[in-house]
Amino acid sequence: MLDVALASAGAQVVLATSSDENFPPENIIDGSGSTFWLTTGLFPQEFIISFTNLMNINNIRLLTTNVEGLSIERSVQNEPVNFEPLTEKVLEFVEGELQSEDIQVDATTAHHLRFVIKSGFDHFISIHRVNVNGSAVH
Amino acid sequence: MVVLRAKCIVAGDSTVGKSALVQTFHSDGSHFPKSYTMTEGVEVCVKSVVIPDTSDTVELVIFDSAGKEIFYDHVKKNWDHPSVVCLVFDLSSEPSFHSCSKWLERIRNQKPEIVLPGVLIGNKLDLEQRRTVTPKFPMEFASSHGLEYFECSAKEQQNVEAPFYYLAQEFYKMYQTKAETITSMAM
Ligand SMILES: Nc1nc2c(ncn2[C@@H]2O[C@H](COP(=O)(O)OP(=O)(O)OP(=O)(O)O)[C@@H](O)[C@H]2O)c(=O)[nH]1
Ligand SMILES: [Mg+2]
Repeated sequence: MLDVALASAGAQVVLATSSDENFPPENIIDGSGSTFWLTTGLFPQEFIISFTNLMNINNIRLLTTNVEGLSIERSVQNEPVNFEPLTEKVLEFVEGELQSEDIQVDATTAHHLRFVIKSGFDHFISIHRVNVNGSAVH
Repeated sequence: MVVLRAKCIVAGDSTVGKSALVQTFHSDGSHFPKSYTMTEGVEVCVKSVVIPDTSDTVELVIFDSAGKEIFYDHVKKNWDHPSVVCLVFDLSSEPSFHSCSKWLERIRNQKPEIVLPGVLIGNKLDLEQRRTVTPKFPMEFASSHGLEYFECSAKEQQNVEAPFYYLAQEFYKMYQTKAETITSMAM
């Protein structure tokens, strides 16, 4: 299993509800925890990561700040449509460092993942990394 | 260039002129509602404010909320995730000034741990003869609650933009500070 949510592995962020050119959504999949996507106000916020093809996935790891309510949905279609719920989380507030959240998803498949941030501990939240452990479905 | 979005909650007693202020600001002074139409719930409008000396914008999503108590249950449902607060009272009505602490508490209770920039506005400055609230008490109230105090007249289009510009700027400053804090934290 490899991290399939990397630009270098062909993943793309195909939608993000905030865009500041200094903190673009591509920072989520660049493999670095020091660059990030920063939301620009209001909730909910969301972004969609598309993989090169349908993937078997079993684990999602997020590096964030100020995220509170989060839901993750998956789509198995070629286009990012027909999303279905995968998991819901309420994260804990962490002071002065990044939130690191490991989410076990029982062996499932996805071509696209949608992350919806429903609420935050601040007006603005940041997403530094999304690691998705997976491998292509053959 | 960045566009920020802030949910601006406008609250205060009925008939103090919240809708008049919002509509005058939203229409750049071309629309002042002379006759009173009671707001029943929440009316939403969007107004962009350009931050001086930048190419950045703050879009204020303004939630003009009913002041009549019977609508409060409904109003409250629309107040999740507030970004900035705009409290309004009528300079010719002391009770409307005293209600401001109640309105502020109600909004802050939405998310007590989050910092909400806010303004306190004394409206109807044009009714000089009927003025009963002197600046002293609102100024004290404002500074003890971290608010900025403004007096204006929606009717005469006097000082209507200043409080909204202030809120947009404060929100913009918070964003910049946050961006810096997170950048250094993630290094
Ligand atoms: N003289 C004067 N009248 C004003 C001013 N602003 C508003 N009014 C009048 O005050 C009345 C009430 O104004 P609204 O803006 O509808 O009051 P509101 O606070 O929205 O009231 P609710 O929707 O019931 O909460 C209207 O008749 C307005 O024309 C002002 O600056 N000066
Ligand atoms: Mg009104």
